[in-house]
Amino acid sequence: MERVPVLKIGDMLLVSIQVDMEDQTALNLQEDLADKIVATGCRGVIIDISALDIVDSFVGRMLATIAGISKVLDAETVVVGMRPAVAITLVELGLSLPGIRTALNVELGMALLARARFEAEGGGDAGEDDETVAAAS
Amino acid sequence: MTPSGGEPLLQVRVRAEPDIFVARKLGREVARAVGLERQDQTRFATALSEIGRVLLAAGGAADIAFLPDGANPPTLWVVMVSPAAAPDAVTQGTAPVRRLVDSLEVSDARFGTVVRLSRRLPTQAPPLTRKRLDEIRDELAHLAPGSPLEELADQNEQLIAALDEVRAQRDELARLNAELEETNRGVMALYHQLSDELEETNRGVVALYGELDEKSVQLRAASEAKSRFLANVSHELRAPVTAIIGLGRLLTDSASDPLTEEQSRQVELIRGSATDLLTLVNDLLDLAKAEAGRIEPEISDVDLKVVFGELRGTLRALATRPEVELIVEDPDPVTLRTDEVLLARVLRNLMTNALKFTERGSVRLSARGSVFTVADTGVGIPEELQERIFEEFYQVPSGVTARGTGTGLGLPYARRLVTILGGTLTLQSTPGVGSTFTVTLPEA
Repeated sequence: MERVPVLKIGDMLLVSIQVDMEDQTALNLQEDLADKIVATGCRGVIIDISALDIVDSFVGRMLATIAGISKVLDAETVVVGMRPAVAITLVELGLSLPGIRTALNVELGMALLARARFEAEGGGDAGEDDETVAAAS
Repeated sequence: MTPSGGEPLLQVRVRAEPDIFVARKLGREVARAVGLERQDQTRFATALSEIGRVLLAAGGAADIAFLPDGANPPTLWVVMVSPAAAPDAVTQGTAPVRRLVDSLEVSDARFGTVVRLSRRLPTQAPPLTRKRLDEIRDELAHLAPGSPLEELADQNEQLIAALDEVRAQRDELARLNAELEETNRGVMALYHQLSDELEETNRGVVALYGELDEKSVQLRAASEAKSRFLANVSHELRAPVTAIIGLGRLLTDSASDPLTEEQSRQVELIRGSATDLLTLVNDLLDLAKAEAGRIEPEISDVDLKVVFGELRGTLRALATRPEVELIVEDPDPVTLRTDEVLLARVLRNLMTNALKFTERGSVRLSARGSVFTVADTGVGIPEELQERIFEEFYQVPSGVTARGTGTGLGLPYARRLVTILGGTLTLQSTPGVGSTFTVTLPEA
């Protein structure tokens, strides 16, 4: 069974999905990522889907689930690298990935997470700003 | 709107999740090949992925066929047939996909749930002529030679073939084993047979050996009986012969009544014959004694000069022919440890024998170390008879034995005596040239 590697970069975890996701692969990834978050105490997760040219509702739901699990474990999730055609198709399918932050690439994703933490530590509520950054970048 | 009839461009069977990835990848390639734009390619592939997952979730395998339609407007049709999926669940699950394609129908056919979807091709797309379709088909066949399922089927077939081969090999092995066992049994049987035969032969050899032993015992007994007979007979014969000799001497004694000349001649003949007979009987007795092993050599230092001197004296009387020269050489070593009486008897025997069969020339006795030779220039003995003359009572059948005929006991007796002395008696002879008897005694 294929496993998607979960890499620790600085104080963040990077998940780069390179393969077609099957049920079992998705479940493994959820478990691996949750374990890694608990083990490292990282508070940011970046999921890179730039290698995927087809994202169907299954993968969309999986991303939402991962983001939900991470949130419960006190980690923010940013999905980065989505292709335009994929974005259009997702919206047409009626999937807008609610509750998932997005960024155009890994670099911007990391910046987004850093700012979010800064604001969280500063006491400010930056929920709406995050959305803005994602859209603007 | 329904797809027009005609051969599908491509068919894929979806049985498990990985097959969906293959199907949607192929769908994307088909979309690209028939001329859909990039965005539409993604839409199309995503739609296939969605519907594939719904069908799998709703009840199992599905067959997907891609049917491009060159009619106006040119359209790419996809027909998906799932024998087991429930139509309602499929209709519900595929609802969001409607926005990705131009048309989507779910129908309940006799052979299962059928999903038809279509996407119009852009106007600038190359026309879907038959030639173009063939090209696309070639391209795709080259691109996706085998789905994982086909590979799986291939591997399955290979596995089955391998299994068959293994089974065949096992059978072959079993057959070879059986053959080997058979051969083994054959070898064992052969072994047993050989073993039995060998045992039998062995028994035969043992029996033969026993028989030989018995024969040997019988022979020895016969030989002893013969010797005993000879001794007894000789002894019994000697008494009357000596009586005849004595009576003859009495008759010719001067004190007796005078005989006429004729009578005295006849009495002399009687005495001569009796003397010959006595010699014969004595010889027989000697031989019998020797054969019975009753003669024990008395070994001492023997002065050969004395022995030779006596021989010279006694033999001179026998050497009556002037044309035969009697030569007794001086012995080389003067003394030898042996039995004097037996040695003298042997040499006398040989010399007498030689003088008897030599008409002219010489008879020579010589000694070199412990080797004595008696060489004559007599008639000689043919090679084939050279061993026989040592047999008792054997005489060379020849008219050449001019004068005295022997008893035929001298040479056997001599050889017997030499044997008792621990030596050997041999003969070299050439007929017409002469004979040489050689006595080889042990040294010291």
